[in-house]
Amino acid sequence: MSKAVIAGYVRSPFHFAGKGALTKVRPDDLSATVIKGLLEKTGVKPEDIEDLVLGCAFPEGEQGLNVARLIGMIVGLPQTVAGATINRFCGSSMQAIHLAAGAIAMGAGQAFICAGIESMTRVPMMGFNPMPNPALAEKVKAAYMSMGETAENVAKKYKISRKEQEEFAVRSHRLATAARQAGKFTDEIIPIPAGKENVVSDGCIREETSMEALAGLKPAFDEKGSVTAGTSSPLTDGASACLVTSEDYAKANGLKVLARIKSSAVVGCAPEIMGIGPVAATERALKRAGLTIKDIDIIELNEAFSSQAIACMRDLKIDLEKTNLDGGAIALGHPLGATGARITGKAAALLKRESKQFALATQCIGGGQGIATILEAA
Amino acid sequence: MTIQKACVVGAGVMGGGIAAQIANAGVPVLLLDIVPKDAADRSIVAKGAIDKLLKADPAPLMSRAAAKLITPGNIEDDLGQLAEIDWIVEAIIERVDLKQDLYRKLDAKRKKGSIVSSNTSTIPLAQLIAGLPETFARDFCITHFFNPPRYMRLLEVVGGPKTRADAIKEISAFGDVMLGKVIVHAKDTPGFVANRIGVYWMQAAVTATLDLGLTVEEADAIMGRPIGAPKTGIFGLLDLVGLDLMPHVDKSMAASLQPDDPYVKLRRDWPLLNKMIADGYTGRKGKGGFYRLNTEGGKRVKESIDLKTGTYAPSTTARLESADAAKGGLKVLVSHKDKGGQYAWSVLSRLLTYAASLVPEIADNVVEVDQAMKTGFNFKRGPFEMIDQMGAAWFVERLRAEKMGVPKLLESAAKAGGFYKVDGGRLNYLGTDGAYHAVERGDGVLLLSDIKLTAKPILRNGSASLWDIGDGVACLEFHSKMNALDSDSLGLLKQALDHVGKKMKALVIHNEAENFSVGANVGLALFAANVALWPMIEDLISQGQAVMKAMKYASFPVVAAPSGMALGGGCETVLQSSAVQAHAETYIGLVEVGVGVVPGWGGCKEMLLRNQPGPRDPKGPMPPVAQAFETISLAKVAKSAAEAKELKFLRPTDGITMNRDRLLADAKARALKMLADGYQPPKPAELRLPGPTGKTGLNLAVHGFALQGKALPHDVVVSDALAEVLSGGKTDHTETVTEDHVTKLERAAFMKLVKTEGTLARMEHMLTTGKPLRN
Repeated sequence: MSKAVIAGYVRSPFHFAGKGALTKVRPDDLSATVIKGLLEKTGVKPEDIEDLVLGCAFPEGEQGLNVARLIGMIVGLPQTVAGATINRFCGSSMQAIHLAAGAIAMGAGQAFICAGIESMTRVPMMGFNPMPNPALAEKVKAAYMSMGETAENVAKKYKISRKEQEEFAVRSHRLATAARQAGKFTDEIIPIPAGKENVVSDGCIREETSMEALAGLKPAFDEKGSVTAGTSSPLTDGASACLVTSEDYAKANGLKVLARIKSSAVVGCAPEIMGIGPVAATERALKRAGLTIKDIDIIELNEAFSSQAIACMRDLKIDLEKTNLDGGAIALGHPLGATGARITGKAAALLKRESKQFALATQCIGGGQGIATILEAA
Repeated sequence: MTIQKACVVGAGVMGGGIAAQIANAGVPVLLLDIVPKDAADRSIVAKGAIDKLLKADPAPLMSRAAAKLITPGNIEDDLGQLAEIDWIVEAIIERVDLKQDLYRKLDAKRKKGSIVSSNTSTIPLAQLIAGLPETFARDFCITHFFNPPRYMRLLEVVGGPKTRADAIKEISAFGDVMLGKVIVHAKDTPGFVANRIGVYWMQAAVTATLDLGLTVEEADAIMGRPIGAPKTGIFGLLDLVGLDLMPHVDKSMAASLQPDDPYVKLRRDWPLLNKMIADGYTGRKGKGGFYRLNTEGGKRVKESIDLKTGTYAPSTTARLESADAAKGGLKVLVSHKDKGGQYAWSVLSRLLTYAASLVPEIADNVVEVDQAMKTGFNFKRGPFEMIDQMGAAWFVERLRAEKMGVPKLLESAAKAGGFYKVDGGRLNYLGTDGAYHAVERGDGVLLLSDIKLTAKPILRNGSASLWDIGDGVACLEFHSKMNALDSDSLGLLKQALDHVGKKMKALVIHNEAENFSVGANVGLALFAANVALWPMIEDLISQGQAVMKAMKYASFPVVAAPSGMALGGGCETVLQSSAVQAHAETYIGLVEVGVGVVPGWGGCKEMLLRNQPGPRDPKGPMPPVAQAFETISLAKVAKSAAEAKELKFLRPTDGITMNRDRLLADAKARALKMLADGYQPPKPAELRLPGPTGKTGLNLAVHGFALQGKALPHDVVVSDALAEVLSGGKTDHTETVTEDHVTKLERAAFMKLVKTEGTLARMEHMLTTGKPLRN
């Protein structure tokens, strides 16, 4: 049985929803451009691809129907390449990678495109027709709780001060700024045509941000709370994609392998503190890999909010120095369905770039879940 | 030729404002200014002006779409575009040499026969065209707008001896119909009409204050509402317009008037004013003026200046018997013995005599002068209407008794019995020839006040009347206090529907008050609630729903013609009419949540219908509900008729009239056109609403706002009731509901809310303070 490997990672530039450079780009077109970029960059033979597995958190409107199949047609993939749209909210495209790895393990395919998409401009969070179940809303108060409120709950429960959250946010912007200036994103970003423009660079990074600037913001979700827009990931438009193949296929076809997938996990948690989801998921994935957190060299921990990222690091005893080396979602943006493939692909790429052995990619998921992937150097 | 495209040169406050109003009329306008030295963007001045227009408050633009009709440019690169421009307005600095330089440049490039006008307020037309080609002089006139151009209704048009008569006609028609202005044809004399008299008034008001030793509070207590001037009075007005403007205006007036002009004799240097300006006390835009807010020690204390010492002390309320007595009329005021009465007489005797001495020097007749003061200085009555109110004969007698001069025109008015007379159902004015002439209303102007001069109402009660406005069309007029709607207003609407159904062809709902209607009478509801007369409140809701329904489904067209505020029940009346012809300055909104209730006369239902998705909108049961919820729960009020279309209070097909005086005629024409097109009442609509899931969804959103502190505890209560109505109660999106189903929910929600403490507190607060309570 052959292990699954990550043999390519790309993404679009990430831009603010509603006001950024990608507001006029349809999500299906955005994803298709990124996938074309992945095919060119990896040189994988399209006819060998079993399935296009696409994560999306609000699969309706322009992200509706089975948009994965439609994107395959836009890309011009051979008809034989299947397509499935997967929803695990923020964990959707990491789940796409897990599905591919599982299929490879059972011999049900040798090459998969695992992509993610979210235009938070063109399909609003909550969708066009939010229709919660009244009885459930009554029974489980947190079932439909807003993410901001859960971030406040975590900040309160873990006693994470506003200042700590802001330091973390400033760090994210600082690292993202440095990475961009050093050209560390050029390898992963696929330029996106948007009208007459060609969008080549990220739009959410605030190079000038400072503790003073963040201190001036009002709480975003609870007037008495500590979470601000500055310590939350922004609403973002973006797409990402990874090529996941069997190790044998990669070798046979001369693909450049970034990392091997060692283990994975998903686990549920209390919805009102959904941000803590990565803790249980990471513990479970580490156990499956036979590793401890100390063995991990590279960590991509999604920054939905400063508060939840700090809480997870505390519980998991994660070393900040190993975490989010090129900045995280607070600076880069968090296009829900696209984040999972971004941080998993990024962790794989960093493993190679930094010549390290083990990496972890993990994220929290609305509704109360965590998801984690452990990678090892191939 | 009609004006299809305009150009404004000079992108300052006036130029920008004029361009905005032209754009508000839907006419494309080029806005030009100079190229600043070393500018990277050569049109930066005009572009900056457009940015300012978008941010200014009160808004010069009626919609964002209007902003797109303004194209910025500069006078070096863009004069080529003048080839397509029908009217060029110059609004640059008041210097003859610069203006003439510009005119030569414009003349070289402008379209043949295009009209050029100046917005000058101080330079005579004769000077502006001196030495310019005859062909230019023929096409040139003065168009003097007042600031801010969107809101001030006066437009003085001044032609010279060489100006083509049809150019004046063309500009006057455009100013009237398209820009909504009251046109006053002024002669080429200093200050034209409004400033000539208005500046004299200000000078006289200040001088008399000093001579009689009044405080600023006392002067303003008389020189405002009691005489029919804006409530700021004189010193408050000076603070508003800026003290530093006054020396300029005074200098220009004194220099251009004849030495024996009463203004020149009246004016005097006023060291305190100069000192205040030098010290930065230029009015509200500066450190303060005659009044200031002292914020020392963290408190906000309103202070007034002592006109003798120039020091400030906390303001006091002026106690003048004459100010209260003024309710009895101007004659009572000026006859009062206290210093307020003396002050009023001192100013008005001079002012009104001066005005009477200036006809026909500054304008052909008294009507033009009265219009200019009413629309340029916001006087309630013009000078000649003021004289008529006192009685011209009485006024002249007192002038004589006090050995004051009596101008010839005033003398003839005293003999004839006033400046105005109603004769043969028409309003007439006294001409300089000593004879009465009909006050001419332009084509397409129909005023209810003219009809009311002689006609008797078809129906009438304390809150509303029904008038015959000809051609089988009736006009329902609300006339309760602030046009708050009560059982009588609704009762008369019902009677009007019955009457028109039997005996006439169409109904227009219109009135000439400041506001169309501020909504249901909250005082009545609160009174009934305080004594637990719940059935009385529920009856009023039911009555309103029944009348609105009868109106919506009447067999004839009912055209609402609102101007000013149309809030709450007033908005619901507009929403449920067959069509709307709205004045451009109409402010529509469903503001019921401000008093803790939901729209109960069909407003919720109509907003659900109005927000049904168009072909390009997202489908499903929630978007219309969410949209209506947002509009109503935030009590959004459209700041113009154009914005009312964006907020869906008006339909895309509803009409907008720029000139308020044309509103009734336009509405009547619309009703007749609908009849001619074979009017059919609408078919009752069915709605597909989400039911409980929708309410849960909306409440989740409100919960978030409550956490953020944006929704207060009683907002959550009111929103919950509103969500129940808009989501359709116990329905399901597989089913449809009728309009009646929704109005029934409105009624239930209203009755539930009106029994809560929070709602009663909101109502009481609104009645006592005029402002919504946040609780």
